[in-house]
Amino acid sequence: MNNKLKVLRAMRNWSQAELADRLDVSRQAVNAIETGKYDPSLPLAFKLARLFEMPIEEIFDDGHEGNDDD
Amino acid sequence: MTETRNMKRPMSPRRKRYTTGIILALLVGAVIGAVMQLGEPSNGTAGLVLLGDTPLTPGFATGAAILWTVGLAVCLVIYHRSVDDHEEHAYLWAGLAAWYTFTLSAPTWWVLHRASLAPAPDVMLLFVGALAVNVVVWLWLKYR
Repeated sequence: MNNKLKVLRAMRNWSQAELADRLDVSRQAVNAIETGKYDPSLPLAFKLARLFEMPIEEIFDDGHEGNDDD
Repeated sequence: MTETRNMKRPMSPRRKRYTTGIILALLVGAVIGAVMQLGEPSNGTAGLVLLGDTPLTPGFATGAAILWTVGLAVCLVIYHRSVDDHEEHAYLWAGLAAWYTFTLSAPTWWVLHRASLAPAPDVMLLFVGALAVNVVVWLWLKYR
């Protein structure tokens, strides 16, 4: 799953370790999410959304376009 | 900001619990291994005595069994209460890979042995094989 985590982190001038501390996860976890090797759990995704003050779907992109009601 | 980056950050409670769990687990293994090694100075290759099948004294065997069971259980509780999302994911897949390794190898070896096509199954070899797969998969998923 694609995400904007690296960009959002860079905009705040945070290192991976700083972001990891704010999320209370390991630096490896942040790196794995940024590089798309690991999709976070829903609780962690919500934590990210609260930290960056954005909706989850603005941070993560599952590649699905259009309305799910279609 | 640069100063903030260079400052050593204090450990979060989660990281403290995590580190404690890992250190305790290492200590449990080290204590059992060291006592076993000291008990057999002339008989075992250093570091491999844990995997041997030479007789042990009942006192030591009881102590080691209790230390392993209780000590490891405590360490695992601490570990699972402190791992993050990503590591838990790595741990679960590594555990599954280890279980599959055991599931594929143990019955295979056992039926071959019953037909006299293989020596008797070695429990420690099966355990170490599954553990090795567990460690490799865990390291790969956590640090790749």
